[in-house]
Amino acid sequence: MAFDVTLGQYMPGDSFLHRLDPRTKLVMALTLIVVLFLVDSFIGYLWIAGFIFLAIINGDIPLKSITRGLKPLTVIILLTVILNIFFTEGTILWQWGFIRITNEGIIKGILLGIRLILLILSTTVMTLTTSPLAITDGLEYLLSPLKKVKFPVHELSMMLTIALRFIPTLLEETEKIMKAQMARGADFESGNLLKRAQNMVPLLVPLFVSAFRRADDLATAMESRCYKGGEGRTRLNELAMQSADYLVLGVTLPVLVLVVFIF
Amino acid sequence: MKVKNITRAAIIAAIYALGTYFLGSFGTNIIQVRITEVLTVLPYFDPTAILGVTLGCFLANILGGLGPWDVFGGTLITLIAAILTSKTKNKLLALSWPILLNAFGVSAYLSVIFGQPYWFTVFSIFAGEFISIGVLGFPVMLYLEKNASNIGLDNQWVKGVRYKSADEKNKKEKNL
Repeated sequence: MAFDVTLGQYMPGDSFLHRLDPRTKLVMALTLIVVLFLVDSFIGYLWIAGFIFLAIINGDIPLKSITRGLKPLTVIILLTVILNIFFTEGTILWQWGFIRITNEGIIKGILLGIRLILLILSTTVMTLTTSPLAITDGLEYLLSPLKKVKFPVHELSMMLTIALRFIPTLLEETEKIMKAQMARGADFESGNLLKRAQNMVPLLVPLFVSAFRRADDLATAMESRCYKGGEGRTRLNELAMQSADYLVLGVTLPVLVLVVFIF
Repeated sequence: MKVKNITRAAIIAAIYALGTYFLGSFGTNIIQVRITEVLTVLPYFDPTAILGVTLGCFLANILGGLGPWDVFGGTLITLIAAILTSKTKNKLLALSWPILLNAFGVSAYLSVIFGQPYWFTVFSIFAGEFISIGVLGFPVMLYLEKNASNIGLDNQWVKGVRYKSADEKNKKEKNL
């Protein structure tokens, strides 16, 4: 399916990072996020930036896709930095009315900015090198201990998998319905916000009708193939941790913990 | 969980994620309107949609999210709001859960992460959610009130009475 490739940020590849188990990458990304909140010094951030830089080189990630991940947040990050620079109490370096620049403000603003960028990078690197389906798989494995407290791990990951599978199909369906309605004189492009929302009705109603019909057909198909939830179900592709995964986790996790304690 | 509910929730999630990914959000940088937030009215009619919009939000935030915080925080708040919406009888109150929870809840973590004043974020999220859920969602809700079962939703309301399960509803409908 043509849409499959362009959906999400995932870039198919065969690098070391691509081949790592999705669980490893999930754990790494989560740890990085936690560590980023615990650390607040330039040296600590430098260490984490080093990690992410290594991952970027390892995963053959082009610079363009990284900047694309940061772009929508540029203004918010800048605003954050500026707000913090101007409105933090401390030693005053420059003052004009109620606006002042303080020593502490500059440090806090820049630290926050770096933290935000690193936060986004740490997850962007993961989503760039792991397909959404693999992330779902990894999540199911990681959350499986929760089955003991009756948390529907299998059902949730099944829903995510089906949803991912159906996004391209629904996209195709949407295009088809749009063309069909435009042939009948529907207008999806002009008018103000409210008018446009109103014009969406002839698109959304058939879309929902057909989507729910698909869902019910799928349920029937699954039941007739004896699908009965996660119990006793086997998988086509079992996730298996390789020695590379243990190596990565074994080296990076202790170092990150040390980074938290030292810096 | 019935298989039918799994697939239906999955499809709603797919529509939410697809809509968010392709329509995106529009507006200025301060006020973001995510059009697919309109779908948060669905749990009012069909409880299956609770998981649908929650997972849709999760997927949308993974596929094209603005940051890791939204994947966890945003999803959790959507879940809570969806549950409350499905349990509330009054339509306007049901609509206001996602608006209020997003405005106050999301701001709580955003203001910590971004170090921005709390009320500033409350205002900006409230405005965005109000446009998508309040202004666009209310007509959708009125429309669905009449047509929910026609478009395939498993409407939990029959003549102003809410039924807990489809079986109970079928029994009542047969007696009518």
